[in-house]
Amino acid sequence: MTAPALHPFRTCPATGHRIDRQAERLVRVNAVAAVVALLVGAIAALLLVLTRWQAVHLLPAVWYYRILGVHGMNMLIFFIIFFEMAVLWFAGTVLLDSRPAAPRYGWFNFALMVSGALLVESMQWSGRADVLFTSYPPLKAHPLFYLGVILFAVGALGVVGQFFATLVIAKREKTYAGSMPLVVYGAMTAAIIAVITLVHGAAVYIPTFLWSLGLIPAVDPEVYRLLWWALGHSSQQINVAAMVAIWYMLGALTVGAVVLNEKVSRSAFVLYILFISMASAHHLLVDPGFGPAWKIVNTSYFMYMAVLASMVHGFTVPAGMELGMRLRGYTDGLFGWLRRAPWGDPGFSALVLSVVVFGFFGGITGVTIGTEQINITVHNTLRVPGHFHATVVSGTAMSFMGATYYLLPLVFQRKVAFWKLAKVQPYLFSLGMLMVEMGMTFAGSFGVPRRHWDISFSQAPFDVAFSPAVDLFLAVMGIGGILAVTGALSFIAIAVKSVFFGETVTEFTRGVAMEGVPQGLTHPPVHPKNADELNEAMHAPARGIAGATPGTLVLVAVFLVAFMLYYFTNWKLLTFLWKIG
Amino acid sequence: MAPPPDDPGATTEKIPLGQRLFDNVFLLLGLGLLVMFVAFTGWGMWEILSMPKATLP
Repeated sequence: MTAPALHPFRTCPATGHRIDRQAERLVRVNAVAAVVALLVGAIAALLLVLTRWQAVHLLPAVWYYRILGVHGMNMLIFFIIFFEMAVLWFAGTVLLDSRPAAPRYGWFNFALMVSGALLVESMQWSGRADVLFTSYPPLKAHPLFYLGVILFAVGALGVVGQFFATLVIAKREKTYAGSMPLVVYGAMTAAIIAVITLVHGAAVYIPTFLWSLGLIPAVDPEVYRLLWWALGHSSQQINVAAMVAIWYMLGALTVGAVVLNEKVSRSAFVLYILFISMASAHHLLVDPGFGPAWKIVNTSYFMYMAVLASMVHGFTVPAGMELGMRLRGYTDGLFGWLRRAPWGDPGFSALVLSVVVFGFFGGITGVTIGTEQINITVHNTLRVPGHFHATVVSGTAMSFMGATYYLLPLVFQRKVAFWKLAKVQPYLFSLGMLMVEMGMTFAGSFGVPRRHWDISFSQAPFDVAFSPAVDLFLAVMGIGGILAVTGALSFIAIAVKSVFFGETVTEFTRGVAMEGVPQGLTHPPVHPKNADELNEAMHAPARGIAGATPGTLVLVAVFLVAFMLYYFTNWKLLTFLWKIG
Repeated sequence: MAPPPDDPGATTEKIPLGQRLFDNVFLLLGLGLLVMFVAFTGWGMWEILSMPKATLP
């Protein structure tokens, strides 16, 4: 007698979505692989931060540079892209109530990605790929390192193709009406940027692989830099699009956020598709091989279109949360909606911390240091990692962690383990990372180089003296790093315990709090029946310029003032160094 | 709330051109690739290839 076959779909008890079981398994394995990569990357981060903290200076030079490469590949590529694959499977199937395209091929792609990642890990840890994350020629790694990257990229590109095919299936089988939901639109944006990225990845890594085998004599370093940054930076723009999609999703799940204007939000995503990848050029702003017109057009005129898009999302996400809260009756004062928000829900706190640090820190510093003239004072200093840790870690990784607190009960059907720790984890991680970013940024402002093992240049025939303040900033970075790694390891412990040993949860009783289940699932934010009338009243012209979301308007004004001050200060600092006349 | 997908009245309304363009995934994919290849990659390659060779002192 054989066991009855499981129905290919199950219905989510919280959201009512049809969930394809094969797609659900692909979401799970990709998310688990992401957490494993995060663990390796976090251990590497601790070793690095305790080496860059000059008073500790833990690792010897060879291991420092080796671990720096390991950290880069695990955090910027494996953790992020495995999680994005989980997002694509989730958005394409669960949010569209669709079956996945060729799920068996999805397993093949996952196997390719895991094989590639393992090859890269083994080459890096064994010292046969000490070429840092950028692997600029003439530095040459073992051929299996490049092969590993290629296999990983081919697997990821395959999943992106399956995502597009799933969109076609969903549309053809009419599993949704009208345009696809905004969160899926954000995932689609990430997928398109992934294609742009991975095509350039193939263009740069296939010749480099052949060169490492001795089949071609050389790789032009200038061409390599151009193509590599179209991979290296654009891959982080996949994150931005995926992160913004998660912001919209978490806003709706946690506080009943509404989309203020579908046209505006979708236009912002289209601006990402068209213009965000050119931001890659700001890595080449001091490269003598490219003229000023190419640099300025790519990093200013075109990149500002993508910056505009980020500022649109930076307004519409919190404004949507404010309007959603006000529609639910939280109308007192400018910030009553914010005071009474569910700060104990790790999905919500992770969302807010991600938006704030990404915007205020990552966004402002990124636009400023991406300006050609200012970049000359910043290039190759610790200010650069100070900036991108704010975007990739405090922004993207934080939002992925917040999403995980909802994916655990919804997709893994497990309660969140160590629930009290989970409530604190976003704050711990975000505070630690903020200290890392501040420490790096201020130390970099005093000229401390990035990537460098020993800024004291011991045993060198010359002497480089930094301001004594640098020691303080590096200590802030070091202590922050310990806090942040503690936050990351807490997240990993929570995720592993929940997935493999967690308590099963298949039903969410509305109105009854459950330990280990986020508030957005037990107390889903529901708008009143007269929400449309309330919305009309809130948008009445009599309310003046403050409109329906006055609190967000104040926050945006604070952001713009901070932006202007930081931008002006950097130009002022440049005039001290670059005297004309 | 959007009508169910099998509602015959759901598709009678004419979809605006902008919405149709924004919903066209493969058009957006093509445009994204085109803009990047022209402005960043193509122009950048041209800058490299048209660089004069350095002369030895």
